[in-house]
Amino acid sequence: MHPAIWLMTDRFAPGDRVRTSSRDPEWHTRLPRYTRGVVGEVVEVAGHHPLADDRARGRSGREQAVYHVRFAAADLFGDGTHSVTVELWEDYLEPAADHEREMTA
Amino acid sequence: MSRINDVGGMVGFPAVLEEPDEPPFHADWEAHVLALNAALIRRGVYNLDEFRDAIERMPPADYLAASYYERWFAAITTLLAAKGVATAAELAGQEGLPTAADPVAPSDLADD
Amino acid sequence: MSGDHGSAAIAGRVRHVEALLEQRGLLDDGEIDRRIDEFLAGGSPINGARIVVRAWLDAGFHDRLLADANATIREVGLSMAGGLQEQRLKVVANNEQEHNVVVCTLCSCYPIALLGPSPSWYKSEAYRSRVVRDPRGVLHEFGLKLPADTRISVWDASAESRYMVVPRRPTGTDGFSESELVGLVTRKGLIGTAAV
Repeated sequence: MHPAIWLMTDRFAPGDRVRTSSRDPEWHTRLPRYTRGVVGEVVEVAGHHPLADDRARGRSGREQAVYHVRFAAADLFGDGTHSVTVELWEDYLEPAADHEREMTA
Repeated sequence: MSRINDVGGMVGFPAVLEEPDEPPFHADWEAHVLALNAALIRRGVYNLDEFRDAIERMPPADYLAASYYERWFAAITTLLAAKGVATAAELAGQEGLPTAADPVAPSDLADD
Repeated sequence: MSGDHGSAAIAGRVRHVEALLEQRGLLDDGEIDRRIDEFLAGGSPINGARIVVRAWLDAGFHDRLLADANATIREVGLSMAGGLQEQRLKVVANNEQEHNVVVCTLCSCYPIALLGPSPSWYKSEAYRSRVVRDPRGVLHEFGLKLPADTRISVWDASAESRYMVVPRRPTGTDGFSESELVGLVTRKGLIGTAAV
């Protein structure tokens, strides 16, 4: 896809609060279990690539944005003061609900 | 399903052990497995995601019992069979190879 | 592991599969040995150490490195293009407030083309499972005791980027030459499990 089209179609930007999918697929995925169904913050757009889930199943896959998403350890594990930044395909993310966006990381 | 490779955040694994002065490979065959995988991906026999998928689909007990490059070799042979390059029996050597001379002298591959 | 029966058995199986693939035209004669040589001659922690030291000595390089590592490491003759394809490199820098540490919880992603093979502990379930949950405890096992108020940022290499840490320059190294500084930087420092 042409870079200009990527820019137009990126769903998220740094600073956006996002919620990860809670889906537990049968196939290969790059959304680690410990980061599922959690709210984090997009910190960087890290390029555009076909979804790994598609490539692992022999499909060419739609090229889409991949983001660095930062999570607070307390949101992942219930405690901890550190952060974990995970690189996630756009398909794994939804906008966080309004009340979740107001929360601080 | 969450697979056995997906260990982030799991509890119960022991302290991290470091190996002082660790060599890049612990035996020649490990280097061969790495090179074999790169060659097959470059040729388009399978892609990197299919390779990871094949590792992850190992039975959990086998995955945990296997060394790093044993997992790789298991995935390579799984994919070669799945892609129809060779049968599982051929890959396991059960049907034997035709008489073409083995191009690699056994002594070259002996473990160090 | 070397020389035991299990290792000898799998060596034979690997050899057998190689021979089978050569027969079927999927491997060229000598290709495996050539690829191994290329791999061993490719990445090295020294490359990372050179980048780190340049960042210590040149604030402009440091800032460019954090903004666009792939372009910036070309300034010192290095690149991420040594593997199957050029991978994106993300460089993060430690400072007084923040310490960074890198992991791949799903497999073993690592900037091999730049830094060479990763250590076995990096690929272990013990490291991959625990460092995202209790980084301070894991770093403590490595002998790295961070001040209680240092923020820890863990980076899980779960997709296409590969990561490298710029450790803090040790105090008392003002008079050091560039090569002396390069000698201080360890592979663990580049992953974030050592101070430098």
